[in-house]
Amino acid sequence: MPRSSNTAPPAPLNGVRIVEMGQLIAIPWAMKMLGDMGAQVIRMESCQRLESYRGDSVYLNDISGEFWNKGANFYEQNRNKLGITLDLSSEDGISILRQLVSISDVFVENFTPRVIKNFKLEYEDLRKIRPDIIMVSSTGYGYSGPWSGFGATGPATEGASGLAYTSGYADGPPSMPEIPYTDYTAGEHTVYAVMAALMHRLRTGQGQFIDISQTQTASATVPEALMEFAVNGRIQPRMGNQHPSKAPHGCYPCQGDDRWIAIAVGDDDQWQSLCGVLGKETWSKDPRFFQGLTRWDNRLDLDALVAEQTGKWEAHHLMSQLQAQGVPAGAVLDSKDLLFDPHLEERGFYEVVSHHPSTKIPPLPYASRPWKLAATPAVPGNAAPMMGEHNNLVLGELLCRSDAQLAELERNGVIGYAPVSPRPVQRPPLDEQVRQGRMQRYETDFQEKVSKAYPPTSERKYPQRPQ
Amino acid sequence: MSQGALEGVKVLDLTHHIAGPYCTKLLADFGADVVKVERVEGDPARRFLPFFHDEIGPDNSLLFLYLNTNKQGVTLNLNTSQGLNMLKELARDSDVLVENFAPRVMPSLGLDYRSLSEINPSLVMVSISNFGQTGPYRDYKADDIVEYALGGLMYIFGSYDREPLKHALHQAQFKAGTNAASATLMALYHQRLTGQGQHVDLSIQESIASALRDVVNNYTNTGAVRRRQPNHSGDLTRIRQTSDGHILPNPGMGLGLDWKIVVDFLDAPELDGEKFNTPSARLANAEELGEILDRIFISKDKYDMYFAANEKRFTYGVIQSPKEVLGDEQLKHRGFFVEIDHPIVGPLTYPGAPFLMDGTPWDVKSPAPTLGQHNSAVFGDRLGIAVEELPRLRASEVI
Repeated sequence: MPRSSNTAPPAPLNGVRIVEMGQLIAIPWAMKMLGDMGAQVIRMESCQRLESYRGDSVYLNDISGEFWNKGANFYEQNRNKLGITLDLSSEDGISILRQLVSISDVFVENFTPRVIKNFKLEYEDLRKIRPDIIMVSSTGYGYSGPWSGFGATGPATEGASGLAYTSGYADGPPSMPEIPYTDYTAGEHTVYAVMAALMHRLRTGQGQFIDISQTQTASATVPEALMEFAVNGRIQPRMGNQHPSKAPHGCYPCQGDDRWIAIAVGDDDQWQSLCGVLGKETWSKDPRFFQGLTRWDNRLDLDALVAEQTGKWEAHHLMSQLQAQGVPAGAVLDSKDLLFDPHLEERGFYEVVSHHPSTKIPPLPYASRPWKLAATPAVPGNAAPMMGEHNNLVLGELLCRSDAQLAELERNGVIGYAPVSPRPVQRPPLDEQVRQGRMQRYETDFQEKVSKAYPPTSERKYPQRPQ
Repeated sequence: MSQGALEGVKVLDLTHHIAGPYCTKLLADFGADVVKVERVEGDPARRFLPFFHDEIGPDNSLLFLYLNTNKQGVTLNLNTSQGLNMLKELARDSDVLVENFAPRVMPSLGLDYRSLSEINPSLVMVSISNFGQTGPYRDYKADDIVEYALGGLMYIFGSYDREPLKHALHQAQFKAGTNAASATLMALYHQRLTGQGQHVDLSIQESIASALRDVVNNYTNTGAVRRRQPNHSGDLTRIRQTSDGHILPNPGMGLGLDWKIVVDFLDAPELDGEKFNTPSARLANAEELGEILDRIFISKDKYDMYFAANEKRFTYGVIQSPKEVLGDEQLKHRGFFVEIDHPIVGPLTYPGAPFLMDGTPWDVKSPAPTLGQHNSAVFGDRLGIAVEELPRLRASEVI
């Protein structure tokens, strides 16, 4: 495989072409990660059935105009992709997709098996077009089995996996965070699965079918709970932030409105240090807290005492004092804290991406990746495609459709640049969201703060195409 | 017989605890040849809860047993020069070295990337750490709860007016391990094409922070800061108690919600009418709605309701206990749980393949190693050390 000899270091996945038929997070997030690392990801979507994230959480909460090009959740999951539209219920649409698969390395999707069977896009269909294709189907419960026909959201798979049951306040119901957490667990395993299949194909020339059950990926990350039952017949009760053997271990209030610190004391030295920093040396002589086991037995008393003291501290200040003494502690960062966190800033974790001028969205910082590959860094971030943005590039240049053919496809509604029946979702005004508690607060000068901390970097570029 | 996807990939595994071992487990379970190097007293995870029949012992940690399938195990004392040399010899013919020490440790042993790349320029070195290899928090101490806090996941988890929560168990570590396995293969893919090795820096904090959907973009797009669960109980997708556990209702996405269908499905005529039939009406009467919903759900059986909802294509979720997950018909059909025999604890039930690859299936060839189990095999085959020399290495505390 030829490699580019540009002066810029190559991205590791240069030359890999992926066709994505994804929605929401599980597949789109995973393909964003592969796109970041140099794969050419061609994301296919439908004007007939609008991807919900395109119209969700729009810039400035303003759904006027082309709201489908302003969805923050769409931008978040779809960086570094080329975007095309295709109506798969038309013969032309299907035949274009099949042609695209014939020149691609990987085809990924996260619809229910019913949809893929309807469109005759199963692995057995695709390998006839491209014998070494790698196909990924990511579904809530798996491509086979009695639950395979069920649709699922992240929270549903978090529930099915055993993770939600195990989590929650000690006196409360099962609990999960306010994001579809296990969509990411599935996405992370999907990146790995695609890479493993690419490694195998590089060595043997063989493609294969990868069947991802989002529930299984999550269950694979809670072995303690599952094996405890399988082996010892026991189900651990929910424990909130308590640790099964360490104390104090929890989340404690700090100065200010809804400010907190997490502290995790792992041994007697750290305990002595905590007492020292909080100015409570007497605690360390208290027989209730003398050593790990007694601290754990008396952890509820201890939590109450620690909370009384932490309440006098500013969270970041207490974190640095405790860390200086070797005590594991972390301020509980909110969304704004993350953006302005000095550590993440120094590591360049948030990367500025420019948006198409017609969207009137300024350049904004986005979370990047948890890895840094020293010799083969990620490609510069290009914003998620606007609807149909790369129809000409992909269908014209890659699949050799003439301008006249493209015009005809557009006339027949096979391709397009806007949803057929646009139905924006208006979120409640911000003060209403604060009243309901979904939001902690909102700031009116955020644009100034964000653009000052994250100025635009460079002009928009297309990801490098395979040679 | 089918091969694993990573057949022929040689991994030198210096990891301990959870994040690193999950990374190398993913590599090993899909066919890589993984040599796990433990300190002489063993990976501390050998003493992590829960234990086989509640008995503490070096091979009794269920978590350790799970995390170390398909690996060969050796012991090496890296504080002896001979131990260090043996490690370097192993690195010479490895494709990948994975470690998750605190960032200062490897350089202090002379095992920084530069030194290792002199021994083996093709080596992919993967360093997993709490906060990455650079930056002001580099040397901060952490465990899972600290990563939740500084990664931004904790603030949006829990009840509106209570302390933020974390998931039970060790999710941050598993996320980082998965990401590290992906990054390892990205670097290895490049190595296979060019022969070039490199250093990969994987941060657990960033593993959390890269998977937060709209937490940060709510602020960058509107100035709003996300909080935890709403402070009212009329939320249609809130987890509800049933007669036999809990269920997660989800009666349709966004505008797809037809209230009449919801009322019919719940068989709840009291929800009909203008008090509840629009989003704004439901918000205005949220507490009353919440009470009615609680009353409806508590009388239902969760699986009956889950299956009935799926008939209507409502994406309900059922909250399953570990016992229910073990008995789940779907997971049974998929063959998710597997029995693995182990020389000390015998055959036990383990979670199996996180995903299915039809050409190169997930496979268990061997259980987690006992401490130093493969010393003679690995040191003999790979380093040409004769079996007779092993007692001497042992006596001088090298292995």
